[in-house]
Amino acid sequence: MKAAVSPMLVRLADERATGVLIRERGALYLVDGQVVHAESPAAPGIDDLLVAGGRLPRAGWEEAIARAGARHMVGRFLVDSGRLADGELEICHLGALFDAAFFTLAPSSGPTRFRYGVSHWIGPVRPVSAAIVARESARRRALLAAIWPYPDIDSAPVVPRAPTAGRRIPGRQRRVLSLADGVRTPEAIARALGRPAFHTLIDVRRLAANGLVETPTVPTPPPALPAPLPPFGQYADPDISLLRRLRDALEESL
Amino acid sequence: MANTEAALKEAMTSIEGVLGVALVDYSSGMALGTIGGSKDLDLSIASAGNTDVVRAKVRTMEQLGLKDEIEDILITLGTQYHLIRLLKGRSNNGLFLYLALDKDRSNLAMARHQLKKVEGQLDV
Repeated sequence: MKAAVSPMLVRLADERATGVLIRERGALYLVDGQVVHAESPAAPGIDDLLVAGGRLPRAGWEEAIARAGARHMVGRFLVDSGRLADGELEICHLGALFDAAFFTLAPSSGPTRFRYGVSHWIGPVRPVSAAIVARESARRRALLAAIWPYPDIDSAPVVPRAPTAGRRIPGRQRRVLSLADGVRTPEAIARALGRPAFHTLIDVRRLAANGLVETPTVPTPPPALPAPLPPFGQYADPDISLLRRLRDALEESL
Repeated sequence: MANTEAALKEAMTSIEGVLGVALVDYSSGMALGTIGGSKDLDLSIASAGNTDVVRAKVRTMEQLGLKDEIEDILITLGTQYHLIRLLKGRSNNGLFLYLALDKDRSNLAMARHQLKKVEGQLDV
């Protein structure tokens, strides 16, 4: 399982390397072979989680960067200056770390590089073993597939569907749904809410499984020999509402 | 103002009959910290599984239209108690504490009281 994720990560953990592992969709920062931070363009950073999540004013975050960024002690500074409690920083940081690691360790064919000696400005918070990070990323992938096995939904704009009358939606999903406007992707919704991207993917897949947002249709490869087109006007429109009712009924009976 | 490890250790030592404690992120089902456990009690599996327990209860309450919050959930086995305490932190991350107790060595009322104290220390 470990080797399937990134053989290089396993090797770097074994040799207790310090530096940054850069893959197609993100980066993992290691100190002595342990993961101390992760970043991915697909995941809101710890600053997004703290500021958009309402825990820290933007100015407070910027001051921490200005005063402790160069020393690579931003995390410590946030706690020592009384802006965050120790536990709060840890939880938020771990949330951001595992979120970015999930995207960084996504299966990809792109190149993997490691730059020795590089460290991150957030500084020491709580290191996690590389094996745990790899295992958790794999568990998350399996969890998404178990909820609704359509990975294309993760990167597409979220399109809400007309709700079935009387259906109650859990609070966290309701807030995701309220930002689904056919333009925002799950990642954009995550940033707006100040929540980890993976958590938003879970909500979006659950919403899709319940028929509350559209599941993008995967373009099927064209057949080798396309059938000749019938004369214009002979196609009957597919009865979308009938298909939806059928699908809803099938889902109800699951 | 304890960090998570200190708070979990506190739970482990201050509560009688504890077999294991985990701090769990409710949305992902990931254990953010664990202490104790054994080969018979894998806390990361327990964390992920009990997330489904919490979600099922939250959903049922929504369906019933109950405008209330879950404080804790108690599951009584033949030889163990499993206690789930939902945290009401200001950052509202959706976390819960999961506690497994040996039924013969524990005092349920005390354990609930202590777990509440641990939540206070966690300050998340």
